[in-house]
Amino acid sequence: MNFKISLKRYLQFIIKYNTVFIFLIMLVVSAVVSDVFFTSTNLFNLIRQVTPVGIISMGMLLVILTGGIDLSVGSIVAMVGVLCALLTQTMTLPLAIIASLACGLLVGSLSGYLVSVHKIAPFIATLALMSIVRGLGFIFSKGAPVLVSENASVLTDFGSGNFLSIPNPAFILILTFAITAVLLKYNIFGRIIIAIGSNEEAVRLSGIKVSAYKFSVYAIAGGLSAVAGIITTARTAVGSPVMGVGMELDVIATVVIGGASLSGGKGSAINTLLGVLILGMIGNIMNLMNIPAYSQQVIKGLIIIFAVLLQRFQGSSK
Amino acid sequence: MNRVELRNISKSFGGIAALKNVTLKVIPGEIHALIGENGAGKSTLMKILSGAYTKDYGQIFIDGKEVQIKNTHDSKKLGIGIIYQEFSLVPGLSVAENVFLNQLDTTGFWMKWGKMKMNAEALINSIGFSINPSLKVGDLSIAQQQIVEIAKALSENVRVLILDEPSAVLGPQEIQKLFDTLKKLKKESVAIIYISHHLSEVFQIADRITVLKDGTSSGSFPVSETDRDSIIKLMLGRSLDAMYPFRETIIGEEVLKVVGIHVAEKVKGVSLSIKEGEIVGIAGLVGSGRSETVRAIFAADKRKQGKIFLYGKELQLRSPRKAVSKGIGMVPEDRKQHGVILSLTVKENISLTNFKGITDHFGFINVKKERNNTIELIRRLAIKTENEDQEAGKLSGGNQQKVSLAKWLNRDCRVLLIDEPTRGVDIGAKVEIYNLINELSQKGVAIVVISSETSELMGICDRIVVMHKGQVQGELAKKEYSEENILRMSIGEVENATSGQLTS
Repeated sequence: MNFKISLKRYLQFIIKYNTVFIFLIMLVVSAVVSDVFFTSTNLFNLIRQVTPVGIISMGMLLVILTGGIDLSVGSIVAMVGVLCALLTQTMTLPLAIIASLACGLLVGSLSGYLVSVHKIAPFIATLALMSIVRGLGFIFSKGAPVLVSENASVLTDFGSGNFLSIPNPAFILILTFAITAVLLKYNIFGRIIIAIGSNEEAVRLSGIKVSAYKFSVYAIAGGLSAVAGIITTARTAVGSPVMGVGMELDVIATVVIGGASLSGGKGSAINTLLGVLILGMIGNIMNLMNIPAYSQQVIKGLIIIFAVLLQRFQGSSK
Repeated sequence: MNRVELRNISKSFGGIAALKNVTLKVIPGEIHALIGENGAGKSTLMKILSGAYTKDYGQIFIDGKEVQIKNTHDSKKLGIGIIYQEFSLVPGLSVAENVFLNQLDTTGFWMKWGKMKMNAEALINSIGFSINPSLKVGDLSIAQQQIVEIAKALSENVRVLILDEPSAVLGPQEIQKLFDTLKKLKKESVAIIYISHHLSEVFQIADRITVLKDGTSSGSFPVSETDRDSIIKLMLGRSLDAMYPFRETIIGEEVLKVVGIHVAEKVKGVSLSIKEGEIVGIAGLVGSGRSETVRAIFAADKRKQGKIFLYGKELQLRSPRKAVSKGIGMVPEDRKQHGVILSLTVKENISLTNFKGITDHFGFINVKKERNNTIELIRRLAIKTENEDQEAGKLSGGNQQKVSLAKWLNRDCRVLLIDEPTRGVDIGAKVEIYNLINELSQKGVAIVVISSETSELMGICDRIVVMHKGQVQGELAKKEYSEENILRMSIGEVENATSGQLTS
C-alpha cells in the first residue's frame, strides 16, 4: 500500500517535470550509445546547430502561448538570409543588418495584422505568408545562393567564431532566452499573453486591448526569425533561398516537447529551451550513430508523439 | 396509466440543490404545462428526463415500468423527444438531413436523397408548415428552425414530447400553428410536457399545470380548477427575510445616461439613467435583452444605435478597454467563461484590470506590491483561498464570483455593471456580496444589477427596471415592489407606461 502511494508520487513528480526527465534521459542515452557525444567538438557543433531553431522557438513560444501558430518562420529565415547577403554587397554592414531585421519584423507584423485585426485564423494567415515569403526569397536571389560580400568579414567571422569555446551565435540564443524568460515571469506583457491564451474573452472584458498583444507576438516571432536568418548566413557566408525548409515544424516541435499547449496559456521559456536541446540531441546522436537521414525523420516523429502523450498524462492526472 | 412518472427526483450541482423531491405525472394525450420562475428547476427536471443530466435520487417510470435513463440515447429509445431552447441542429446541413440525422438510411451504398427530402417535406407539411427540405438550416429563421426541430423529434416516433419555451422565438401566427400541431399530437396520445413563462399560453393550451418553485413542486392542477392569480401566487410567495442588509442611500448627481440603445434583434431602444450611489436593478426573463443591454453599455458587443453619456458628456465607446478607462466596469454573467480565468491564480486574475499601481515604466511587475495589493483585496472581500497563488479554478463558485468582483474593486470604477451577482452562490457568500455592493454604492459608485432572482433585486435595489422582449416594459419604485408586479411586467402583462400599448 505504502509502496503504491510512493510509486504514484514518483510518477507524478516525473510527469510534472517530464521535459527535464526527457532531457536527462537523452543525455544518458547519448553518452551510452556514443563515446564522441561528450567531446567538446561535438557539443560545440550541437549548440551551433540548434541556435537558429532555439532563437525562433522563443518567438514561437509567445505566439503559441496566445493560442496561435506561426508557419512563416522558416521562410523568413531564407528570405532574410538572402537579403542580408545581398545587402552586404551594396551597403555598410550595420545598415544591411538593420534592413534585414526590419524585413523580418515587417513580415511578422503582417501576420499579426491579419490575425489580430482581420481575425484570420493564424494557421491560414501564416501559411499564406510562408508561401509568399519563400517565393520572395527565390525572387531576390534569382534561385541561386548569394555570397556575403568580402567587406562584411566581421559578420562571417562572428558567425563562425567562438568565445570561451562557445559559438558566438549561442550568446544571442542565451540572451533571447533570458529576455523571454524574464518577460514571461516578471512583465505584464508575458502575464497578459498567457492570460489571452487561457481565455481571450475574459481578458478583453477586463479592459485589455487583446489585438495589440496578439499583433506584437507575431511581430516578435518575425523579428527573431530574421535574427536566425542573419546568423545562418553569417555562419555559412552564403544566403540560400532553400534555407529553413520545414524549419517551422522543428520549431513548433521544440515548443511542444517543452510542454507548451497548442491551445495556448501554457508553456515556459526554460522548458522550451530544453525542448530545443532535446530535439537537437536526437538529431545529433542519430548522426553520430550513422542512422540514415530518412530513418531519422521517422524516429524524430515518434519521439515527438511520445513527448506529447506524456503531457497528456500530466493533463489527466490533475 | 401514467405515460411518465417522475417520483421524488433530486439533483444538486456542486452542493447547491436544484431539485428537491420533485414528483411529476403525465398521462398519454395530455398537454402538461411546467411553469416556474427562472431557476426554479424546470429545465433541470426535463434534462434529467431526456438524459442530458442524471438524477441524484428518485425514480423514473415510463408506462408504469421503472427505467434507468443514463444518457440521451436511453431516453430516445424510450420514445422521449426534447426540444431545447437552444437548438440541436447542424447549421451546415439541409433541413432534410437534420430531420433524419439520427436515422439515416444506411442500407445500400448511395444516400437516398430524393426519398429523404420527400419524407422530410411530408413531415413538415403534416404539422402545418412548409419549408423547402433542401435549404440549409443555417439560412432559416429562428422560427423555421424551431419547426425543423419539432419535425426531427416527430420523425423519431416520440411518445413523450418535451418543449422548453417553444414560443419564445415564435410570432403569434406561428404559435397558433404550433398549438394546432400539439393538439394533433395529443389525439395520437403523445404525452406533451410544455415549459413556459407565458401564463396566457399555458391557459390556452394546457390540460394540467405543475408549478415548480425553488426546486420543489408546489403541486399539479387541472386548468379548469385553477386560475391565473392562484398560479402566480404559487410561483412566488416567498417572504423577504433578513438576507438583505440595510443600507443608507445617498443619491447624488446623474452618472450614466443611456439613450435608445439597439443591439441586433436583442435590444430595441433601451434608455436608462443611473445616479451616484444608486443601485438600479434590471429584471426580465431569459432572452429579454437584459445582459445584451449591459454588454452594449460596456462595449463588449457592438450596438447599432444609441448614445451613452457619462456625467453629461457623450462617450464614444468602441471596446471594453475604452469603457474601463472611463471608469466603467462589468462583472459578466458567466463567471467561468468571462469573469475569471480558471487556469490563472487569484493574484493574476485580480491584477488583470489594473497594472498601474504594481508595475514600473517598462511593465515589470513589482512582485511585492502585487502580492500586498492582492492580499488586501482577498482580506477585504473575505475570499476563501489558500493564498494569493491558488488557481481560481480550484475555488468554490462563490469565491470565484468574489474574485470576479475584486477585479473591479482593484480600480476606481464610477459605474459598475453586475450581471447575476450571486448565481450559484451559497447563502453565506450571497450576503457578503450584497454587503460589498452596498459598500461600493455608499462610496458613490453607480451600480446596475441584473438578476433572475426577483427577491434579490427587491432586496438590494433602489428601483427596478423591467425588460420584456428587448424593451423597457416599465419601472418600479421601491414602494411598488412585489414579485407579482415584476413577474407581470416581465411576461408583458402590464401595459408599458411609455408606449401605452398592451403586449400580452
